[in-house]
Amino acid sequence: MTAQMKLGAFLWATGHHIAAWRHPKSHVTAGIDIGHYIQLARTAEAAKFDMIFCEDAAGLREANIGIASQTSRSIGFEPISLLSALAVQTSRIGLVSTASTSYNEPYGLARTFLSLDHLSGGRAGWNLVTSASPIEAANFGATGLKPHADRYERAREFAEVVTGLWHGKASGHDGHSFSVRDPLDLPRSPQGAPVMVQAGASDVGRDLAARTADVVFTAAQTFEEAKAFYDDLKGRMVTYGREPDDIKIMPGVSPVVAQTEAEAREKHEELQELIPDDVGVALLSSYLSISDLGRYPIDGPLPELPESEGMKSRQALVVEQSRRDGLSIRQLARHFAGARGHWRIVGTATQVADELQARFEGGAADGFNVMPSYFPGELDAFATLVVPELQRRGLFRRDYEGRTLRDHLGLKRPA
Amino acid sequence: MDNGATMHLAVSLLPGTSDLTGEPEFRRLVRFVQQAEAAVLDMVLLADCAPASDSGTVNNPMPFEATTLLAALATVTSRIGLVAAASTVAHQPYNLARRFASLDIISHGRAGWNATMARSPREAANFSRPEGFSDTDFRRRGEEYIGIVQGLWQGWDADALLFDKTGGRFHDPGKMHLLDHKGEFFSVRGPLNVARSPQDTPVLVFSGLSEPDLDIAARTADVILLDSGSVESAKVRHDDLKRRATAAGRDPDAVKVLTNISLAPDDSSATVADRLETQFRAKSCDGFIIQLSQLSVFDDFINRVAPELRRRGLFRDTYRGTTLRSHLGLAGGGEQ
Repeated sequence: MTAQMKLGAFLWATGHHIAAWRHPKSHVTAGIDIGHYIQLARTAEAAKFDMIFCEDAAGLREANIGIASQTSRSIGFEPISLLSALAVQTSRIGLVSTASTSYNEPYGLARTFLSLDHLSGGRAGWNLVTSASPIEAANFGATGLKPHADRYERAREFAEVVTGLWHGKASGHDGHSFSVRDPLDLPRSPQGAPVMVQAGASDVGRDLAARTADVVFTAAQTFEEAKAFYDDLKGRMVTYGREPDDIKIMPGVSPVVAQTEAEAREKHEELQELIPDDVGVALLSSYLSISDLGRYPIDGPLPELPESEGMKSRQALVVEQSRRDGLSIRQLARHFAGARGHWRIVGTATQVADELQARFEGGAADGFNVMPSYFPGELDAFATLVVPELQRRGLFRRDYEGRTLRDHLGLKRPA
Repeated sequence: MDNGATMHLAVSLLPGTSDLTGEPEFRRLVRFVQQAEAAVLDMVLLADCAPASDSGTVNNPMPFEATTLLAALATVTSRIGLVAAASTVAHQPYNLARRFASLDIISHGRAGWNATMARSPREAANFSRPEGFSDTDFRRRGEEYIGIVQGLWQGWDADALLFDKTGGRFHDPGKMHLLDHKGEFFSVRGPLNVARSPQDTPVLVFSGLSEPDLDIAARTADVILLDSGSVESAKVRHDDLKRRATAAGRDPDAVKVLTNISLAPDDSSATVADRLETQFRAKSCDGFIIQLSQLSVFDDFINRVAPELRRRGLFRDTYRGTTLRSHLGLAGGGEQ
């Protein structure tokens, strides 16, 4: 049998498109409706996805309250309680949640994920992140963000303690950031240990992933970017005595799929049209590292900008595109706000499957974390149109081979 | 709303409950909680093994952490209240407020937080504070913590969410409030990124109180759990707590005092019902929390004692509302 790709269903309330909640067919009360999530999880399980994946932030995502009130992202479920509820409403699909090493303690987090693992019969995973948002920091008494290197040093020690506890290490830990005396008071995980997921793309983030991750979630626009990341990360694993197949690399992909290409494009345009101008311009301003883009005519061209001290390469990319394609501020704002920096495929099931196949067989991905633009419609579309096409090509399973998330991902059971 | 004529009944699942271990215990727990719901109990209390226990060894722990267990049980029940213990040492207040707000939405207004006031040196040792706090510091920290959690729960007005697709207004920015708390132990800006609770705020349950905790409890708790004692001593504690609540400007009926009862397999149902009736009629408490030494004892309570209490008009036979606050006869939520 040829290798098959892994698929995650990345759930996010109304959808991954910034204006998803305004789409006539999106479920606008998703953030307070557990039934909606149960339905999504069952859809993903019926389509044999490896896992559902939840993002997290311990605070609002947007500092400007006026902008925040025009998006659906200020409220939602806390993901560990959400996945615990979904654990008993599903039976096979993996359940992965993000949780930050910056504002948790390893003993409590290890225990909570192990409990989720027991509730689900061995289907839990933890996506380790460090928190970089000042909005979150303000909820935890921090006077400012910790420098990147410090955050990762804490994350490294955090991961070491958590995996030690999961593996039943009995002795105490007395380290730089944490001290832990006892072993966990729960039995060992049904899958040996919950699955470790990471998303960091920086040098130090890649090293941590190469050492400890089972799955890596990443963002890559082009094949070349994806391939370079893939080769680099797999290359680093040797240093830690691991084999390349011990990590599954799953870049995000946001497909808009329909029966015909024209229909898919129309659906995408429909979403783009729903982006409120000030939301789009605010996001564009942040990419350009300037604060007052709103004072220029929205249908006019991008003004001459002083060179950024912020995200230099991102600014250059936006300016380049605006000049090349002759785009107005409004058009540019929609372009960048819609995709949020992730790989977007708009087309038929055949076209989407072709693109996924090319990256999978080209050695740029072991699978994909699918980010539907709105829910439930685009998850349904992927499940009913793209998954059968991938199955026809032998690229994706027709049924689960095992019971645990490690089984699905083809990961070794830890000793 | 409850007029206070009938007693409140809760049941507590402790880690030491003898027949709860082994692989199939989640299914057993589901059966147990569904049984408690069929018997119209107000709530089930889920203990959290590690932090609650200070003994050197833990016998027969449940393989679940309480808040994750609550979420799972919420989806297989529809009326009974579910209260999870969670300690103020194991979680940051923002994270804990979020977890319970989320649990309340998952359970459609049936979640409660059991904040244990007792200190646990064993727990401190697993949470990077081997030296612990002094008693006074721990108490001040606890009070500040609870104030933050309750403040975060109130960050969104009941009508803040607009869901206005065509107008592009998801929420009303004027109805979302920052907490902006800057205190001795914590600073928390807020707001919470979880919507308002279906019962306005999850129910706050206190246990493990010592004398200096009583005023904090009387000011903030919805439910106070007390150890059993003689009818006379229970009456004194009950009246004292109600007096403190009044002194804090609250309706004394806004705080429900429940006392522990332990059931042993050999008590007769009439004896148990007599005991409960005596204590309840003496107004020594607003109800009881049943401590189980083993699950089988619960069958006797459900099948014999509860029907006997109903016959005597001491306990209701159906739920009148859908939220935990409504079962307890507390104000809050959309059922007033």
